[in-house]
Amino acid sequence: MNSNKPTAYNNRLGLKGWVYAGRYTFERYLYLGHRLSGMGLIAYMVLHIIETANRMRGVEAWQGLMALFASWPFKIIEYLLFAAAVFHAMNGVRLLLTELGFFLGKPKEPVYPYSSSVMRHRPLTFVIMGLAALIIILGGSSLFFP
Amino acid sequence: MRETRLWSLHILVIPIIAVLLGAHFALMHYAPVFYGVSVEEARNFETMIERGKSVAQLVLYILLLAAGLYHGLYGMRGILRELPLTPALAKLVDWGILLFGLFIFALGTYVTWWTFSFKAGG
Repeated sequence: MNSNKPTAYNNRLGLKGWVYAGRYTFERYLYLGHRLSGMGLIAYMVLHIIETANRMRGVEAWQGLMALFASWPFKIIEYLLFAAAVFHAMNGVRLLLTELGFFLGKPKEPVYPYSSSVMRHRPLTFVIMGLAALIIILGGSSLFFP
Repeated sequence: MRETRLWSLHILVIPIIAVLLGAHFALMHYAPVFYGVSVEEARNFETMIERGKSVAQLVLYILLLAAGLYHGLYGMRGILRELPLTPALAKLVDWGILLFGLFIFALGTYVTWWTFSFKAGG
């Protein structure tokens, strides 16, 4: 399908649609967070690989870089990175469980009032996100108050 | 079928990333908690070189590099391919991401190999 084909109506929201296009559910915002954290992590990974190549310039260059990373602004960046990695990983576990059909309930006749698989899945979503929050908080305490 | 294989590989590398990135975090960012040494000590040049001389570290770092780059850049490709691209632009995105990934992988592998084969004063 060519998505460039002109349509009779213009309903393309572009990037704005990532954030809002009417009433989005909690899971939709997790999807947004998953994308943003993923993009942040891959950008960091590339920069990290380039930055660690600095070791080839010798001891002084390496130690200077490490001293910079020990400063507070970099500690905060390091923590944000940790938080992004934990969120991305935990939400990834949720997505994998969904993909494999766990915690969605058994298929049944659609009888009104319909129950959605998203709602059946929601308790698991809350448990996983609660765990992610706990790990992020504990990680912060270990990083800032070793 | 090709897309299914690429997607499956992106899922299959997850356990590798989870274990190796977890270990990397524990070693480099949470050394006081997991190894009882300060972060400064864990990131010291001599310590880093000493660690890098292990064959296991060489293999595992290259594995993490490959798995992390594949997973991340595959995700990035998915996001970019959602844009309304012409077939030519979509191909450019595919090739651009592949070449960029190979370049970064080569750089990371070279640095890991450099550390592994480092000789003091040489």
